[in-house]
Amino acid sequence: MLLYSIIFPIISIIAIVWFLFRYLNQKQSLLTVILWAIFWIIVSLFAIFPNFSNAFAKLFGITRGLDFIIILVFAVLVYTIFKLYNRVDKLRDDVNTLVKEIALKNEITLEEEE
Amino acid sequence: MAIEISKEDKDATYVVLPAYNEATRIQPVIDEIAEKGYNMVIVNDGSSDNTLDVVLESKRKYPDQIHIFSLTINRGVGIATQTGFDAVLRFNPKYVVSMDSDGQHSVDDLDNVLEPLVTGRAKAVIGVRPFKDMPFSRSFANGIMNLLTKIFYKVDVSDSQTGFRAITIDALKQITINARGYLISSEFIREVNDKNIPFEEVPIKTIYTPETQAKGTNVNEAIKILFQMIRHQF
Repeated sequence: MLLYSIIFPIISIIAIVWFLFRYLNQKQSLLTVILWAIFWIIVSLFAIFPNFSNAFAKLFGITRGLDFIIILVFAVLVYTIFKLYNRVDKLRDDVNTLVKEIALKNEITLEEEE
Repeated sequence: MAIEISKEDKDATYVVLPAYNEATRIQPVIDEIAEKGYNMVIVNDGSSDNTLDVVLESKRKYPDQIHIFSLTINRGVGIATQTGFDAVLRFNPKYVVSMDSDGQHSVDDLDNVLEPLVTGRAKAVIGVRPFKDMPFSRSFANGIMNLLTKIFYKVDVSDSQTGFRAITIDALKQITINARGYLISSEFIREVNDKNIPFEEVPIKTIYTPETQAKGTNVNEAIKILFQMIRHQF
């Protein structure tokens, strides 16, 4: 058995447990936990059974298992960036509302400057 | 020749001035507006220079005509203008104008943009800048923005990126502005058009200096606005 066949499943277990803890602490939605769990399970399966990726690859019409893994990782990264972008955008809107409200509640007068 | 705006109408007009790092340019603009007899709501957009001190100095000169609000961090011209529009509601005006605070717009045009509102011909006005007066890069970017405003917002105007606009208070209450940055110009026009608010274009003068050219809608801003317009379609 190769080293990565041991390391990746260990990382996967740690990641899934970490996501579960975050879900239990209400820091993560159930859907996100399920999606990440599926991702890490697939990573583990690919690590333990390298030929498994070939079966998946054929399923999607891709010739090599390694190509399938690269495409999968790329898709996950794109999804993650999209989610992060949306979250940053929402935070930016929240900050704007907050800054605007603070300004509106505090008209600057000459008395307070003196 | 524009009509003379009465003192009563001037008292009922508030000029919103969003200001970001305008310490060296805003003073003459404020003085001219105050001398003409208009009220102002100045929004300091988290400036890192002493814009706020300069504005406060002006308030000492014209305490009743100037109201100051300050965003603690820089949020962009869209948010600063929105803050000004929200703030102005508490003063119960009849007309609201917003213009640039860097001296790019001529204060003499205030009467011209208000005239269609005062006479009742329109409820919103945009001050349009002659493209021939603009540097090539600016007129090119503005030409593209006009086209995008026509495509995405279905409104055909001569200058979609103008920062000089006037609106009656009733019309202002009807529109919703969410833009953060320079998109506010197109969004204002879209809202006015969507809400069937009668609007007019009024030619205005533009005073370009190397400093004012560095601000406003350049090609980078045009690309940003394009992405925001696309996003707003969904």
